[in-house]
Amino acid sequence: MQRKISLFILLTFFAALASLQFGCSGDTETPDDGDVSVSFDINEPNMKKALGDDDGYALAIHYGSDIHGSLETCG
Amino acid sequence: MGGLARRVSYIKAFRHRSNGEVPALYLDAGNLFTDEKFINDQLPPEILAKNRWVVKGYSEFQHDAANIGFADLPYAAELLKKDGYEQRVSELSFIKKLTSANIHPADDSKIAPAPYLIREVMLKRGGTERKVRIGIIGLTEAGQILVAQKQNRYAGFTIEDPFQAVKNILPEVKSKADMIIVLAYMSEDQAKNLANGNPEINTIIVARQLSSTNEPQHYSNATITVANNQTKYVGELRYYFKGDGTIENQINRYVGMDPVIPDDPAALEIVTNAHNDFTNQQNNATQSNIQPTAMLGGSGNGLFVGAAKCASCHQEEHKIWENSGHARAMATLQKNGQQLNNACVGCHVVGFQRGGFQSLNTTPQLVNVQCEACHGPGKFHAEKPQKGYGFMATPQGCVQCHDKTNSPNFNFSTYWTKIKHGKAA
Repeated sequence: MQRKISLFILLTFFAALASLQFGCSGDTETPDDGDVSVSFDINEPNMKKALGDDDGYALAIHYGSDIHGSLETCG
Repeated sequence: MGGLARRVSYIKAFRHRSNGEVPALYLDAGNLFTDEKFINDQLPPEILAKNRWVVKGYSEFQHDAANIGFADLPYAAELLKKDGYEQRVSELSFIKKLTSANIHPADDSKIAPAPYLIREVMLKRGGTERKVRIGIIGLTEAGQILVAQKQNRYAGFTIEDPFQAVKNILPEVKSKADMIIVLAYMSEDQAKNLANGNPEINTIIVARQLSSTNEPQHYSNATITVANNQTKYVGELRYYFKGDGTIENQINRYVGMDPVIPDDPAALEIVTNAHNDFTNQQNNATQSNIQPTAMLGGSGNGLFVGAAKCASCHQEEHKIWENSGHARAMATLQKNGQQLNNACVGCHVVGFQRGGFQSLNTTPQLVNVQCEACHGPGKFHAEKPQKGYGFMATPQGCVQCHDKTNSPNFNFSTYWTKIKHGKAA
């Protein structure tokens, strides 16, 4: 009985390991927020207005498109 | 407006304010690379450099996923070459964040992009902490020129029908994700059909060189919002959840990337290096004495015929055009010293970066906003004139250039009277 329990624990361990390695698409990722320190005042009135009110949202998606190869600020 | 340095600053400020309490992702809905001068299945060195800096910038500053639009394919083909792929990914992690469910390599020399990506975030607001898995699917339509050529193959990739592709992939994504976002490089009408036919989708972010800052629309279970052309405005979707973890509401804002947002110093360094690298490569190319004909690249070489050709049948319309501001669009740029600014040129010529206008010297026949700037490439219509060519939705087509940033006084009914023209006599 003890041997069966040991075998079960061992199999469960390897199954969990395999699931971590191959179970999902392989493209699952937890985003790293990285360095979010800022060198300017986020409470400066215009900046504060740009940020908008914090009204209790739980998740934010920022998005854009069509930069077509340009990282630059344009006129 | 716009630019990586301001965008990075804003996103950092947003995350800083929430003090790690609100997870935030950045998604690019497509057309992040340029296919300018793509000829004989090759991009010239200066364009490769330009695109390489986009990948470097996106790798350095957290960008969580990007959709591969049809115009991205020439450079995506470079990134997804099997040869040296692992090395490239180890240097530029962002390559693994490219996604498309309907782009497939035409042969085995390339790696298929991930059809979808899963991002796991921890929600900390609204009761107990819980993990949410976000499925992100990329889709693109085939471009106008590919459709005109009746092709679905470009730069060594095939473009599958996006509606069929999403039907195939959704059950798998649904089994692995709690919510699904589609990045859709297609028209808003197509996105509405996508939402109506697929109730599993929660959000569709549409892009296709549109400049909307309008309210999002709701179809079936999806909120549809449009990314701003060139990301002059960053879209910000805020999600609110019910106690059971399902989405209660999505609210959208557009944040102007104007001078109020200071440049992030590290991102600005990348932008400066990108600019210098591109300029050096371009100077080298000029010195290597490239013949003008070799410069006629892009995704639809020779499909634009120019207004003079249109005038041979459409004399009346041509006269109206000659007297309009559209016929003097380049002069406006020259007056402001912006005639070499790629970000501006596209709205003052025909087919820029689409196999049309290249420069004042090499393609002078395609300067100014001529017929094909609105009605599309006219080669096939000129060869075999028949009904069906040239329809343009208004005002949607107009606001691609007459957007809030560049044409703040635009009003369709008053502007239309200046260029009003009808069917061929």
